Amino acid sequence: MSYTIPIGPYHPSLEEPCKLQVTCEGEIVQDVTLSVKYNFRGVEWLAERRNYHQAITLVERVCGICSNVHTLTFCNAVEHLAGLPVPERAQYIRTIVVELERLTSHALWAGIAAEVMGFQTLFMTCFALREQLMDLLETLSGNRVHYGMNCIGGVTRDLTDPEAVRTTSRRVRQTVADQLIPLFANDKTVHARCAGIGKLSKEQALAWGAVGPTARASGLTEDIRRTSPYAAYARLAFEVPVETSGDVFARVVVRLREMVESCRIVEQALDQMPPGPIHGPGFVEVPPGEAVARSEAPRGELFYYVASDGTDIPSRVKIRTPSFVNQPTVRLMMLQENLADVPLINASIDPCYSCTSR
Amino acid sequence: MDLAEIRECLGNGKAWVNKSEARWLENPNLDVEKMARLMVETGARLVTVTASRTPGDEFQMIYHWDLQGQLLNFVTITHQATLPSIASICPAADWIEREIHDYLAVNFTGRELPTLVLNEQDPPGVFSWNFQWKGKEGGRA
Repeated sequence: MSYTIPIGPYHPSLEEPCKLQVTCEGEIVQDVTLSVKYNFRGVEWLAERRNYHQAITLVERVCGICSNVHTLTFCNAVEHLAGLPVPERAQYIRTIVVELERLTSHALWAGIAAEVMGFQTLFMTCFALREQLMDLLETLSGNRVHYGMNCIGGVTRDLTDPEAVRTTSRRVRQTVADQLIPLFANDKTVHARCAGIGKLSKEQALAWGAVGPTARASGLTEDIRRTSPYAAYARLAFEVPVETSGDVFARVVVRLREMVESCRIVEQALDQMPPGPIHGPGFVEVPPGEAVARSEAPRGELFYYVASDGTDIPSRVKIRTPSFVNQPTVRLMMLQENLADVPLINASIDPCYSCTSR
Repeated sequence: MDLAEIRECLGNGKAWVNKSEARWLENPNLDVEKMARLMVETGARLVTVTASRTPGDEFQMIYHWDLQGQLLNFVTITHQATLPSIASICPAADWIEREIHDYLAVNFTGRELPTLVLNEQDPPGVFSWNFQWKGKEGGRA
């Protein structure tokens, strides 16, 4: 006999609203229905009623974790539209901040995953690491969450203390390489909870349009930083970690290896960053037209479409977040799995419901 | 399959246009099911679909695909605010079409369209609703 269990909309571990209707036979999941409507704020509609500069502040609030990459992608789209060049120093600062944001996001995710597994020591290690990164971002931008770093044509603040960034980056890289990776990779509890669970095949990932670490854990290789470089990525050397097993463990490994690569990117960017201006003219005229921009957010490809009718208000803003395409894949991951693994499988894609329903 | 072959398969007279580091192909009478089948066969990933209001009652629809890192944008237009669904060909379109239906009331034939971001009882087309802020005492008009 089958029965259906409602999980959410309030979820004790994720603390973001999402409702899962899980149908089981015994302990085995037979079907899952997702409801993600609880954070709908009409951000696209609101962005079409504000000028370009106000829209930057708005899109920064789509998400509290990857806020910076939203403003970066929006600014990139507007810069494409206006044919506006971005000074080289600003491109490097954008790269550094967006990688620090990725590190913060991945450290948060690793901590939550550890907590869902019941591994409290690991949770504390991850959050202590994240705290250092948030302190650094606060030093650079004045804020711990919404950094306000990007403007159309550049960045709003210069990076005046590169040594502070370098020191934190090295410390984070060492902690990830020496503590987090061995703990996650070798611990029996982590293995028992993650290996072989919540599988998503390469074919499924492609058909459902999965992106980011979720897709790369299933063998897809695409990383927007590599395939369509933006900011300073074309001048920086980094690896794109890919795993093929498609399970929760593969998603853990991909994200941890990405953290090491992010530190490498930050340190290279600091070495290469030239002196010079950090933004162009303060106010730009945006001609009629349309443009798209993509970037690699912590959870995967972020897509913006911006259309202009020549006024100072965008006529259309379309935002496609990585969670929007990754979220439907959890249904495939959960089928025929044990009910007890549902929270961890859901957490393994690093879901953001704020991004999903916007 | 290269871009010229894709254009030829879709019977499009217009050339690809390069804009904002992406390729754009316009066809007001695009057979979206044929396009979807072709893109899936070539191993492309559906990025998203952008629907925009036009001066009339129709909507401009842009199907964005990623083919080996290259962004391809197929631009077409709805007919009586309706297009065939491609969700059965490309599962990634499922949530995308439901969201567009919620936002702009564009219809996609050949499938059911349960709400994604709206409540079940809400009418589709939330971006067309007439919002009038009436202060703390009021609410949505």
